[in-house]
Formats: sequence, structure tokens, C-alpha cells
Amino acid sequence: MKSKAPTLRDRRFRITLEDLNGWAFIAVAMVIFIIMTIYPVASAVITSFQNYKPFGSEWVQFDNYKTALTNDLFYKSIRNTAVYTLITVPLSLVIAFAVAVMILPFQRKTQSVFKSLYYIPAVASGVAMSVVWLWLYDSSPSGLFNQILTFFHLPTLNWLNSSKTAMLSLILMSLLSGQGSSIIIYIAALMGIDNTYFEAAELDGATFFQKLRYIVIPLCKPTTLFLLVTGIINSFQVFMNAYMMTGGGPDNNTTMIGLLIFNNAFVYRKYGLACAQAIMLAIVIAALTAVQFKVAGDDVEY
Amino acid sequence: MKKKFLALLLCLCMVLGLAACGGDSKQPDSTPDTPKQDAPAPAEDDKTDAPAEPAAEEDTIVIMTPPVTGDYTDLLAGWIADFQKDYPHLKVEVIATAWDDHNSKLSTMALSGEAPDIAEVSSGTIGTFVEMGVAVNVADYLPEGALSDYDQNALDYMTLDNTLYGLPLYLTIQALGGNKQMLLDAGVDVEKVQANGWTYDEFLKAIEAGTKDGTYGFVFANAGVTTSDFVNIFGVSAGITSHFTKDLKYAYTSENMKNLLTSVETMVASGWMPNYAVEAGQRLVMLETGDAMITGKAMPLFENNVKKNNAGIATGEAVEGSIEVEYAFLPVPAMENVAESCYGTVDGMIMLRNNNSTDEHMKNVALFLNYICSGKPVAETVNQILLSCVCQSGRDAQAGADLGQDPSNAAASTRCIGLVQAPPTGITGEQSANATTIMNEVIVPKFQALLAGETTAQAMYDEVCSKATELFGADGCEMGFIK
Amino acid sequence: MASGLYSQHLRNPKIRIARNLVMGIFLFFFAAVVLFPLVYMLAWSFGPAQETASSSYAIFPKTWTMDSYKHFFASSQYSVKWLWNSFVVAAATVVSNVIFASMAGYAFAKVRFKGSTFLFFLILMAMMIPYQVTQVPLYILFVNKFKMTNTFTALILPGCVTSYNIFLSKQFFAGIPTSLIENAKVEGATQFRIFRSIILPLSKTVLAVMAINTFMGNWNTFFWPFLVTSKESMYTIQVGLKTFKFANGTLLSPMMAGATISALPMFVLFFSLQKYFLEGVTIGAVKG
Repeated sequence: MKSKAPTLRDRRFRITLEDLNGWAFIAVAMVIFIIMTIYPVASAVITSFQNYKPFGSEWVQFDNYKTALTNDLFYKSIRNTAVYTLITVPLSLVIAFAVAVMILPFQRKTQSVFKSLYYIPAVASGVAMSVVWLWLYDSSPSGLFNQILTFFHLPTLNWLNSSKTAMLSLILMSLLSGQGSSIIIYIAALMGIDNTYFEAAELDGATFFQKLRYIVIPLCKPTTLFLLVTGIINSFQVFMNAYMMTGGGPDNNTTMIGLLIFNNAFVYRKYGLACAQAIMLAIVIAALTAVQFKVAGDDVEY
Repeated sequence: MKKKFLALLLCLCMVLGLAACGGDSKQPDSTPDTPKQDAPAPAEDDKTDAPAEPAAEEDTIVIMTPPVTGDYTDLLAGWIADFQKDYPHLKVEVIATAWDDHNSKLSTMALSGEAPDIAEVSSGTIGTFVEMGVAVNVADYLPEGALSDYDQNALDYMTLDNTLYGLPLYLTIQALGGNKQMLLDAGVDVEKVQANGWTYDEFLKAIEAGTKDGTYGFVFANAGVTTSDFVNIFGVSAGITSHFTKDLKYAYTSENMKNLLTSVETMVASGWMPNYAVEAGQRLVMLETGDAMITGKAMPLFENNVKKNNAGIATGEAVEGSIEVEYAFLPVPAMENVAESCYGTVDGMIMLRNNNSTDEHMKNVALFLNYICSGKPVAETVNQILLSCVCQSGRDAQAGADLGQDPSNAAASTRCIGLVQAPPTGITGEQSANATTIMNEVIVPKFQALLAGETTAQAMYDEVCSKATELFGADGCEMGFIK
Repeated sequence: MASGLYSQHLRNPKIRIARNLVMGIFLFFFAAVVLFPLVYMLAWSFGPAQETASSSYAIFPKTWTMDSYKHFFASSQYSVKWLWNSFVVAAATVVSNVIFASMAGYAFAKVRFKGSTFLFFLILMAMMIPYQVTQVPLYILFVNKFKMTNTFTALILPGCVTSYNIFLSKQFFAGIPTSLIENAKVEGATQFRIFRSIILPLSKTVLAVMAINTFMGNWNTFFWPFLVTSKESMYTIQVGLKTFKFANGTLLSPMMAGATISALPMFVLFFSLQKYFLEGVTIGAVKG
């Protein structure tokens, strides 16, 4: 994409070997992609303009979009999601990066022990972990976190059942649960950095933090960008934690946009509205992603 | 290393191969299904050619249900076998679901035009299926005279806008349950309350007396989504028996609602109730361990749970720290100037339209629907949850069955069922759907905040009113006091 | 072995040892926090198969039994079949993702072909649509059009090449020096050969990450298998666990036993693929 084809005519008519190679490589993926993704998404776009009924939908033009945009809960859920994302995604990256950097100087055996330790929590199923966390957050004095507070002579909290702490609880749970994958991806990136960079820096008398600042962070940029983009996408679509832990409460303070879409589609059975909300969400995420690529893209090659 | 990796890939490929084989070997299993699913279509073609004997046409009925009772799926299999003795040409396919996910699977199937022919629902959710255009007027397809078997009161629950969309299984009542000995110690005349009901003031005095070190007078499961139970059950206590008044105005904007919210404010502030949110599973456990005197929501069938737990104390199968408890089913107290009532809801089976639906098919479906909602099947279901049937044939089949229920609990339960008020007739699908929206988007969330002491009764009441006025218009809301 | 990021403190090894010790202790402490829920799950899976009051929840159960595991295997004649079904679905999905998603990722990263920018943009966009709304059209497709209820195909096909994996591998391959590929081309290697002999060997780490993430995602997925299966014999483990009320909050031990059983194959897979994480990425060496 960097080098422009010489003329328009060439581009249009000449099919190069590279074209054939490229198409062959993506053929299977594309067929699957069209059936499993493009078709349902197109269908959702169409539905967003309908009052969907399985037998005879009515076209309602932009009514679903209007309904969504005039609903306070829609804005509240976007705000909740934004707060959740803005806190969890950057913090997760920092934690994962820091842990990866700290694992780096150890012997291979030790490294592998740490990698395993940090990865393991990610493999347990979400539902079961939710139950454990529900117990940790139990509002009664016997909940573990409340016992810890009592130990330090602090008043107990209503964790998931108070508007003040519910979101905080979900954020804490997210930060302490799923960093394993990011840590491993970061370690792979760190180990890919050519040692000659460090040797050269060492000769210039660079400190550890200078090396981190001028070598490691720039060279990890593609990885960071990947984790950032997927992190934000996942975070904007997050649904399971609020669904399992709080049901969106109290006072809709943990109603994420993903949960709202799920509820509209499967609980309130307003499928057209759910589709409209999903498409608006996709546009928001797409805009955010474009910004990220723009910001990061200046000195990283894609 | 490369070789090892390739070897690993190969291994996985073999698994894939196995999977394919597994898929193939399943093929014979699933092939009998496919013609079954297709069956109605050719049947329809035949019919247009020549009206053949309808009784001979093979047909498959699909029913989807969560475990209404613990072993409902097994029971269902038995009833289906019985049913097929009379109608050998009708096959029944059961899709068993879990309570938690029943609704989302049902929604997906219905939205896809692939709804099961019959599905278990709570009467409150019928509106959304009507709005979706998949609910079917059952009266058009039921055998002649079948409806006269059912109580009108229960049928009203399955009716919207004067159209009947399904048949009731049972009317379940939700109220309170208590530890009889503790109640007596707290000075409550339990038998009298069970026989005559009680006032809100008497209730408050009781829970005040019942609150001692380590024991709460009143524990209501109100964490997360269970909040709506509190609104429903105590709504009745304040005089709101349905989302809508008799003249079809929205009820949660009335004076009664304000009284309800104020009373909750008092109860939470008093310390007679835990100042933290209680998980649904914990309320019964707290009753069984003596940490709670009165608990809610409670159903008559909890008597069985408590008895089972009592029996388990000796064998070590009981909840840790259990004490011997005698369970008393209690009515909800009535607030000032309110006629005593009880929150009831009907669970039933509704009929849904899908791509296979032809008139003939619908008649077959209705036949089976009527079969499982009446007579022996419904009696067996209802016996397990200590309720009584809402159809005559069911009551006949129930007669003489010894449920081992405590007589005063049985009497209290019967009395409460008699107090239940059916929703007014003529509610439209749209009204019902709007009421659901307000419940989900405003009442439940705000109520959670009220329980957490983060909002006031007045502020919450104002929020409900503003959303209700927006959806129903000022004329559509009851602002006065409902008697 | 260790990265040049850290000074080796050759003149004073004590500093190095002290530094590593401090970091090691911190890493262990943090790992203990992160692992706690899992330890709790494991411990309580051996608790008594009875209801427990939350007020008596301790970190470890008072008595240790295997009752909950017996309960799981006795709950349905298909308990083992559920595990097998999940395994088949997850393994098949992993294989097809590792092959086809990485091929597509490579093409997007290193092959200049017409339409690549647009198609990759489409793939990125597709990731942004919440899955909740695509379930209904997919359901219509599989149940209504393909008549595939209760088949492995229906369980496997929707996840067999994911946008996420294409994106992951593309990002990774983009970091491999183009000169490597150009050199091979000059020597007359075909793109397929380059992919197989040069790219794949360099990408074990990312492929292993992809394999594990994909396996895990499929293993833990509930909603789609729940939608397209209606026969007990075709349930996956997650559907089986939920339908059989292992998800009852008060029956803590059976629930935790179910979760442990369902997590076990993940551990096995993780530990068997683990060495690929440690291969490191040797691009630097090759380039020199």
C-alpha cells in the first residue's frame, strides 16, 4: 500500500502473480468471512431500518436510530462503557507490559513458570470465575473483601450493589483477571528485539529507563497497537461481566452498551432497535480505531 | 523444532479428521430428524391436492421448556408416550432448556421464524411475543369446549387485548415465609396471621422484635435482578396488584407507589433488614440456619426444601450450621386503606407461529397443548410445587393426593390464591411492552439505588412518573390512590 | 539468553541478584493475587456436594471429598460426551484458524495484491459489530437454510476463521523483515514455499498464542452451541454444565467441580504448547 501503482490503467488491467498469490492465500478465509460475517452484518444493517418481525417486518426508516438516540439509557450505557474502557484498557496494557518486562531478565525455566502462572487464570471459564468473584464481593460481612476491610477496621462495602462501588468492582475484577494473553504477546515482542540495539545503547551509557523509553517502547509499538485496538473493541463489546455480576445495576450504573444490546435483542425482543444500537456502536469503535491507527501509524509500517 | 511443530499440526489435523468422522457417525442420528422437520411441508402440498384424512397425516410438535419441576423432562417423556397411544401419528420433540437461558434461546428462535410450537413462559412476557407477531390465538385451534375446563381467572393472565395466547399451567403465589418458632417468640400469632392476614404495622412490630444478635427479622433477596420481586410482592401490599388499573391506566404512578417506596425507605433505615444486598440463593439458607426470621420471596413449596434440610441435619447433608426449622407460609401485610391481596403470576404454555405453521399443524399443536395443561399431566406438575390446579380436570386428578403439606400452610396458601387478583382485561400488547420497559429501565434500577440508600422515595417516584408520562401520556397514568 | 535491556552488572553480580530477587518476589506476590480465584475454585471443587451458606464460606472447605465430581459424571450419561464434543469443536476450530487465518494474515501483511487494503479494512470493521446482533441471522442461516441443528458443522463453522486471528497474524507478520522474503524470491521460491519454510518457523509463538486463544474461546463459548443444539448428546460441556444446574450459586462445590473439569483440558493444552512461547523470536539473528 506504500508504493502507488504507476498508472490507473495498469492497476485496472494487469493481474500480477502477486495478485493471484494474495487471492489464493485469502480465498478460504474470505469465503468463510463472507458467509459467517458479511452476511449477518449486512442483515443486521437492513434490520436496523425495520420494525423487525419474523413474519413481515415493516420499514421504519430511521425510527430505531431516533429511538436509540433519544433514550437516556443508551447514553448512560455509552458513558459507562467509556469509563470502563478508559480505565481498564490503558491500565491493563501498563500492567501487562510491566509484568512482561519484569519477567524478561530471568532464566528460561523461571520465565516459563511466571508465564504459566499469569496465563492460567485466563483459561478458567467466565461463568465459574464470576461465581468466585460474586463471593469475593459478597455484600454481607462474611464476603472476603469485606473481611479484609473489617480486618483493617474499615467499614464494609456494598460492593456490587452500590452505585458508588459497582463499576469499580467490575474494573478491579477485569484488571486482576485477564492479562495472561497480553503478557505473553508482550514477552514475544520483547524477545524479538535485536540485542544490538541494547549493546549500542549500553556503549552510549544509556540507563535502563532510557533503553526502555527509546528502544523498547517504540519497537513494541505494533504489539501495543494490536493490544490497544483489540482491547478497546473487546471492552466496548463487554457483556459477560455485567450480565453475570450485576445485571446492569444498581441504578443502571454498570449497564454497558453490550448488555443493553443483548437485552434489547433477547429480553425485550426489540431486535431492530438492538441492530441500530449495534451499528452505532460499530461506527463509534471504527472511529476510535481509525484515530488509533492515525496516531500510531506515523512511524509504524502496516 | 519445525518438525515438531508440523507433527503437532498433523496431530490436530487428525483430530479434525476424527471430528469429521464423528460428525458423519452422527449423521444417521440426525437424518431421521430432517424428514420430520420437513414433514409438514409435503403434508401441506398433499392437502391442497386432495383433502386427505387429516388424522392420518404425520406431524411433529416441538415443545421447549425449562425444568418447571426438577424432573419435568422425564415426566414429559412419560406423558408424550401416553399421548401417542391416542394420537400415534403425532410426534413430539422436546427441547429442554435451563431457566437462565430459556428466554434468550426462545427469543432467537422466534426472531428467526423458527420458534418452537409450544413454549413455557411467564404470563408477563406474552406481550413481547404478541408485538413480534408470533403469538397465536389459541382459541381458534383448541378442540370444542376445551376452554371450559380452565378457570377464567387464570385464563385472563394468558390473555392480552381479549385474545387468548396460551393455556395456564399453574398460578403461583409469591409472598413471605417464616420460622414458626421464632415468630411465636417474637409475639406473632402465626396461625391467626395465616388465617386472617396482617397489617403492615403488625408486620413491622414483628420484624423489630425478631431482630436480635445475629438474626435479622426480615431478609428479602434483593441483589441484582431479584429486585423486581420486591416491587411485585410489596406492590401488592401497597395496593398495586397489576401494572394497570381496572380502567387500564398505568398503576406505578399512583399514590400507592409513593407509599410503597416510603415504606421501603423506613424498613431499610431501621436495621431490621440487612443493610446489604442478599443474593437470591442465600435467603432460604439464612432461614435454615436461623439467621432470618421472615424471608422473601417465598412460595408454599419451600416447606419441602426446609423439611428436606431438617432431615439432612442428622446425615450431614443439610446446609452447614442448620437448625431445625418449622416453615410457615405467610401472607404479605396490607398497608392502610388497602384491601389485602397476594402477588400471583401464571406460568403457562403459549403457542407460537413458525415457518412450519399450517392450520392443520396448529390444530395438532393445540391438541397437545391442551393435553399437557390439563388432567393428569398438570396435576403431577402442580403437586410437586405444592399448588393447586387452575383447571377442573387437573383438580380432579389431584384429588386425594397426599402432599404431606402442613395443614395450616396449605390453608394459608389456598387463602392467598383466593386473594390474587387477575390483571384487568383489555391490556394491549403495546401497553404490556411499555410496562416492561419502565419496569426494566426505571423501577428496578432505581429501586436498587433506594435499597442501597442512594436515592429517596420521592426522587424515585418522580422518575417513574416522568418515564410513564412519556410512554403512556398523562391520561394513561393513574396518579390518585388505587383502592 | 536474557535480553540486553537489563544491565548484567558484571562488575557487581550482587546487584543483579538483589534486583532479580525483588522483581521475583513482586511477580510471585502479584501472581498469587491473580491466581487466588482459581485456587478457590479448585479447593471448593473438593468440598461437600451440599448447599452452603455464604456466611460459612471459607477459603478452603472443612471437609474434602470427591462427591461433586461423582455428581458430575452421574448427572447424565452424556457427561463425557460433552467434553469430547467440546474438544472436537475447539480442536477443529484451532486447526482451521491456524492454517487459514495465518495464511490470510500473511497475504495482508506481505503480499501486495489488488483489493488487500479494502478487504483488510472490511475485516477490521467486522470485528466492531457486537456479536449479539449477528446471532439471529446466523441462526436463520444454519437452522432454516442449512438445516444443521445438532451437527458438528454448525458448531464449528462460524468460528473457523476469525477476524481477530487474521488481524493478530497480520500484525505479527508485518514485523518480519521484508528483505527475508525478497531474498527468498530472488532465489526462486514461491510465495507458498516462503510462507511454509520461512514465515511459519518464525511464527511459532504467535501461532501458539492463536491456537490457545482460539481453543479457549471455543471451549468456553456458551451461547452459540446452546442455540444450535437441542439434543443432550450434542451438547458441549458449557451447555451441559448450565443446563444441568451446576450453575446454581448455592451448590458451590458441584459448580466449582464442573468449572474445574471444564478448565482441565485448557491447562493440558497450555502446558503442551508452552514451549513454543519460549522459542522466542529469532528474527534478529536471521537478519544478521
